[in-house]
Amino acid sequence: EAKSSAVASSQILHSDGGEMEPETMETKSLTDFFSKMHMGSVMNRQ
Amino acid sequence: MDEKGSMLSVQGEDQSCHIRYRMEASCLELALEGERLCKVGDYRAGVSFFEAAIQVGTEDLQVLSAIYSQLGNAYFHLHDYGKALEFHHHDLTLTRTVGDLMGEAKASGNLGNTLKVLGRFDEAVICCQRHLDISRDIGDKVGQARALYNFGNVYHAKGKSICWSGAEPGDFPEEVMTALRQAAEYYEANLAIVMELGDRAAQGRTYGNLGNTHYLLGNFRSAVSSHEQRLLIAKEFGDRSAERRAYCNLGNAYIFLEEFEVASEHYKRTLQLARQLKDRAVEAQACYSLGNTYTLLQDYERAIDYHLKHLIIAQDLNDRIGEGRACWSLGNAHTALGNHDQAMHFAEKHLEISKETGDRSGELTARM
Repeated sequence: EAKSSAVASSQILHSDGGEMEPETMETKSLTDFFSKMHMGSVMNRQ
Repeated sequence: MDEKGSMLSVQGEDQSCHIRYRMEASCLELALEGERLCKVGDYRAGVSFFEAAIQVGTEDLQVLSAIYSQLGNAYFHLHDYGKALEFHHHDLTLTRTVGDLMGEAKASGNLGNTLKVLGRFDEAVICCQRHLDISRDIGDKVGQARALYNFGNVYHAKGKSICWSGAEPGDFPEEVMTALRQAAEYYEANLAIVMELGDRAAQGRTYGNLGNTHYLLGNFRSAVSSHEQRLLIAKEFGDRSAERRAYCNLGNAYIFLEEFEVASEHYKRTLQLARQLKDRAVEAQACYSLGNTYTLLQDYERAIDYHLKHLIIAQDLNDRIGEGRACWSLGNAHTALGNHDQAMHFAEKHLEISKETGDRSGELTARM
């Protein structure tokens, strides 16, 4: 009989239940923050 | 105070203002450089600049919050989750103290993700809930969607952490299935929002994880449907890593649907992409999956071909466990073809590696 029956389906796969998508981390950008501040001060001057 | 004393006092104030200004400027310059380095993926160097910025100090609490947050994220990417936890916690305390709701929501989200990786699921759930509640209160749809995605990830990880060994997808204890069903519900709720927002990138991520959740729940047709959506979006963005993940996950689902030819086609695309991306570990994994799929198809010559490819890469990468698996599979395939000498050779190699790696079940299988 074929040896394939000895290969349990759980042994087929390396990955533990599928490869996950990356986490989404929240960002607090300093560059954006200062761009907004700069725009604000320019608008105030006008 | 006489005129002279008053002059001195003004001079002193000017000097103090000047020092404070220099300090703020210096802290900001260091932090901006840290941000730039993290953006290009040099998290180690980024951390040094952020730490230096903290040493200099700032009185601007929004700047300090951003530094804490980015330091936490940098440590997260460096897999130093203890440090990530520390800085996201500092950020949470700071944003709560100053009443910055949007900042608190973001800090809660990051803290939740970190706690999830550390396996502290109950605390992670509290953080996700806070992230979701604030986002709803302030009408931040993007924040709500992200909180729901994080919630899904926490329940998915919780389900997998409870019981993994030995059991097959769809055949886990009820506690695991409950956690996985919750994960699916959160992913579905996330999808409703990101579709409304037209955020295709977010849809792609959610479809990928929803597919993996359906797979573990044993809903293999639904898993295929989600992973096909993920694949479509990955192609839209030209994201070859995501495309490769989708093909691999599709291959896994088709194995359980017993559509082995279809599975092999997906694993072949995985292999092609792994080679294009020059990811040797993933290339090895694809070869292993292909070898096993051809074993299921009883095409032992092809199975041997792929298992040998897997063996060579495992040896190159010094992956003894992978090498052991390859030898075990090669032994089986040669036995099926009646090549007893070759089968014995690989069985002995498998036994030797199992002893070395302390793999008791592998050792017992080899002895059989």
